[in-house]
Amino acid sequence: MAGSIASDSLERSYDIRHVLGTGIIAATLYYLLYYVEPVERGSLGPEEALAWLVAILLPLALIARGADVSKVRFSFGWSFAAIISYVYVPLILLLGVPGLPRAVAIAITPLMVAAFAYSLKEFITQYRAMKSKQIRMPLHRRIRSTLYKLDLLLASFLVGGLTILTVFLLIPVLLILWNAFTPPIGQPFYANFKRIFTSYEYVRLIELTPEKPWLFINEGGTRLLLIKGKNYGILLNSMINSVIVTSVATILGIIVAFVLSRYEFPGKRILRVLALIPLFVTPFVNSYAIKLIFGPTGPISRITEILFGFRTQIDGLAGVTLAQIMAFYPIVYLNAYAAFTSIDPSLEEQAENLGARGFKLFRTVTLPLALPGIAAGSIIVFIFSLEDLGAPIVFSERNLMSYAIYQNFINYTGTILPEAAALGFVMLALALVGFLAIKSYVGLRSYAMLSKGGRWKPRSRKLGPLGLAAVYLLLLPLVIFTMMPQLTVTMMALNIVPANTFKIQLGEATLRYFLALFKDPHLFMYVRNTLSYALTAVVLAVTLSIIIAYAVTRTRIRFVTGFLDALSTIPLAIPGLVVALGYYYFFSSVFRGTSLDPTSGPTVFQAWIVLILAYTIRKLPFVVRSVYAGVQQVHENLEEAAMNLGATRRQTVFGIVLPLIVAYVVSGAIVGFIYISTEVSTSITLGAIRPDQAPMTFYMMDVFLGGQLEGIQYVAAMGLLLILFQLIAIIIIIYGLKQSYAFIGA
Amino acid sequence: MTRIRLVNVTKVFGTTVAVDHVNLEIESGEFFTIIGPSGCGKSTTLRIIAGFEVPEEGQVFFNDKDVTFVKPYERGTAMVFQNYALWPHMTVYENIAYGLRLRGLPEEEIKKRVKEVLELVDLVGHENRYPIQLSGGQQQRVALARALVVEPSVLLLDEPLSNLDAKLRLEMREELKNLQRRLGITTVYVTHDQIEALSMSDRIAVMNRGRILQVGKPDELYFRPRNLFVADFLGRSNILDGTVVGPAGEGQLLVHVPSIGADLVMHAYENLRGKVKVIIRPESIVRARPEHNINLIDARVINTMFLGDKLEVRLRVGEASLIAYFPNNERLGVDETIRIHIPPDRVVALEASG
Ligand SMILES: Nc1ncnc2c1ncn2[C@@H]1O[C@H](COP(=O)(O)OP(=O)(O)OP(=O)(O)O)[C@@H](O)[C@H]1O
Ligand SMILES: [Mg+2]
Repeated sequence: MAGSIASDSLERSYDIRHVLGTGIIAATLYYLLYYVEPVERGSLGPEEALAWLVAILLPLALIARGADVSKVRFSFGWSFAAIISYVYVPLILLLGVPGLPRAVAIAITPLMVAAFAYSLKEFITQYRAMKSKQIRMPLHRRIRSTLYKLDLLLASFLVGGLTILTVFLLIPVLLILWNAFTPPIGQPFYANFKRIFTSYEYVRLIELTPEKPWLFINEGGTRLLLIKGKNYGILLNSMINSVIVTSVATILGIIVAFVLSRYEFPGKRILRVLALIPLFVTPFVNSYAIKLIFGPTGPISRITEILFGFRTQIDGLAGVTLAQIMAFYPIVYLNAYAAFTSIDPSLEEQAENLGARGFKLFRTVTLPLALPGIAAGSIIVFIFSLEDLGAPIVFSERNLMSYAIYQNFINYTGTILPEAAALGFVMLALALVGFLAIKSYVGLRSYAMLSKGGRWKPRSRKLGPLGLAAVYLLLLPLVIFTMMPQLTVTMMALNIVPANTFKIQLGEATLRYFLALFKDPHLFMYVRNTLSYALTAVVLAVTLSIIIAYAVTRTRIRFVTGFLDALSTIPLAIPGLVVALGYYYFFSSVFRGTSLDPTSGPTVFQAWIVLILAYTIRKLPFVVRSVYAGVQQVHENLEEAAMNLGATRRQTVFGIVLPLIVAYVVSGAIVGFIYISTEVSTSITLGAIRPDQAPMTFYMMDVFLGGQLEGIQYVAAMGLLLILFQLIAIIIIIYGLKQSYAFIGA
Repeated sequence: MTRIRLVNVTKVFGTTVAVDHVNLEIESGEFFTIIGPSGCGKSTTLRIIAGFEVPEEGQVFFNDKDVTFVKPYERGTAMVFQNYALWPHMTVYENIAYGLRLRGLPEEEIKKRVKEVLELVDLVGHENRYPIQLSGGQQQRVALARALVVEPSVLLLDEPLSNLDAKLRLEMREELKNLQRRLGITTVYVTHDQIEALSMSDRIAVMNRGRILQVGKPDELYFRPRNLFVADFLGRSNILDGTVVGPAGEGQLLVHVPSIGADLVMHAYENLRGKVKVIIRPESIVRARPEHNINLIDARVINTMFLGDKLEVRLRVGEASLIAYFPNNERLGVDETIRIHIPPDRVVALEASG
């Protein structure tokens, strides 16, 4: 009797920690085996299988015995770990990484197993519940009901949206896949992928020639500390870089957002405005500014020279990482700031009443509530970092996926290697998996946004002397520091900073370079191209957005509506280079021999049409998001009231819906314009085929790749022009349309 | 004008049956109310009549014409939404004129009719305001004017008074009723307010969980509910257990009610046997007068409460405790014993399980 009670309570006490425990046992087992007989690559063989069996079967056994693993779905920490495991474990196996990283993979495998088992269980229960309650109606009646709700206009919106996105998004991406599985003659169909995951060029687990991430070199009689980072192969470099950039950007963004949203101190308003400056997108030049600032003549170098007697330069991979962190951290900051200020203060007060204080309050209440917003920002940073070409080109870092794909476009052989397609596909998969994982994670947690809709004053309190010191000595310099690229670009455009050394020469200030953008016919051609393409693409994107947003909010057709919704947001997760690859394949196969075929030669190919289409689709999510928010504001009753009085769907859409969402449409258009005018990936690949039809970003790239010093000033002037566009956009959106300026976020 | 008929109408949302095999006949020119608790399917029924939803099963007829699959803009109904659904980007005038413009009327005619309807709802002088500049009551009247101006054959009202304060609600209730009577439009009114339903309607349908439980005239529903839900939902009732003794004339039964230790003659819809529930409205209990010869009981006054328009009295009869409403000029002392009478057509026996 007593025994049965004991075993009963024992059973109930198993939880997620015990499941993780099984992973640690398995990992220890693996590591012991590895320690006895290490391998350089791949698995230990049958001995290792034992560890995996433990890591998979033991947690399953615990779950079968009633372990409560609901935390893998509902605790913000555990579920995050589970999502990481979904990505990390397969990657380690695919890359054949042995040793400690593999032990970690084994250790977190039980979390993955638990998450999978739990989801499966949940799905089955839900499915059963649905099946048992489902009311079946005759098919003809269901079809008639669906058709009744789908009048001609709505149907054409739905079909039109789906067709356009299928043709210009889905098919190009599928063509990449098709080409990726086109192996060199005589090799298996997966040969391209195999090379990417195993060859020394891509994955460098063992060093043939030992390399140091930093070294001292003698240059002109003085010592120079050159920090370059370490080359682990193209694939690993990209992944490591993106993970570092995302993590650091996230932490920085959270800290800055938290301080600015929760504390009062003199100068806070100015700091808030300043913190937005790094958001200004200035392709290539901002990376160049960072290269200068961290170059041998930069301020950092001067400081180390005075303090330690050697100069410093950050270059290569390290430079790329640094430049990306500085460019992208404001994305997290903006999302985190919005998340922190949208938390209902009573939730935190409640926790304080219960005794949570300081960091514990932050960790247990504030952070979990803000996490969906923060995670949405972080995943954008991850994708941006993965696809970024600006920093790699400026720092001449070829050992990154983005550069490796790009290389195919500039080798001027006219064809793109299937290996590039495979690489593009791997990049897409990484971005997509991350995006979907975060999306499901955020979706699960949207309770933060659901807390009561009322307006409240966000909690904020005065800082003590210690806090003030921290803000002025750490935060202020940090914010000013991250503004440096934009400041430097502006100064370079005005010739206050010369092209190749970091020094301030106020006396040399001139508007010559900036004015040349409009006076010099060759430079003006790029400005004109950018403007006319961006305007055209914005018109297309806005039209498409209205069609899609309306169809998605006003139809409820199983699979179809959801599919259209997904298609319109997915370009956010598709790296620009992947779009460029896809469009290259799409137009050179479907439109073979026409003037839209990129291989038809630099006199026939009409790059502008392809560029405008690519811009429209790539930046669609940013426009759709805004229009969608607008349509959602229009209560369906407003439309029904019109139809009830005799208005057809067309009259309702044009007479009621559109006038009500004008502000959203305009702000979507403005955001779209900004994103399109700063677009890099397709501009410098497909645009490069027709330099006379290329936009500003192509010229910017051309200058850096060609290394013309004079050009850099013009490029900076273009950067300044783009900054001005963005400044005007912010002012219109905030003051003209009274909407919040949220450029980026999922 | 228009007679509305719903035949076996069923509407399903996912796994919820919002409307469950509803059959209704609404006469031309009738003020018909659907009442029921929140989520019972009132709005959905109304929306099916307007054509915003298509039923999964069953048909909707307007004057014997099957309109189940006729689009909302071809039905000639006019709906006043619970949230008014006024277009925020249009002025009062533009809101009201919208339906007329769609009909292609000349601007002169539109002006005239908008003016007329504004007079009707007492909003002359507010033409150029935007909805946001109006009070809740004014918005409600604009919504009503917008619906009436197109001279609809069917007027659909979804809890139009629920957002108004008590005083305004009372006023609007009367105004609405008068208007409807004057214009003679077939009106379907949805509410969960029993007073509203009882005071305005020609007939009422009580709904619960997607089903129509009873349709009838207000007094019929009130005094002779068909089941316990209806009895409970509309007003207060004394509900007692009883056992059928036998029939007692046309549609009436003799029922033994042990808790009060008496046999009562009462109305019954069916020929019930065995255990029943006995429903007595507080108003149905009156002081006995010489001409009463059945259903007479002695009761002791426990306490009284003066409610202004009436006197609420708690009575003890045998082991049972009953609530009764007496005229407010009645003088009763605590512990006084009085003789009460319950008219047989005002007490009803219901199946115990219903
Ligand atoms: N569009 C819809 N999608 C899913 N379920 C719905 C939808 N509309 C109504 N329902 C469900 O159908 C049921 C009936 O809803 P309905 O709006 O008709 O109730 P109601 O009687 O008008 O309630 P209330 O008094 O609260 O307005 C409810 O359970 C509701 O949740
Ligand atoms: Mg309702």
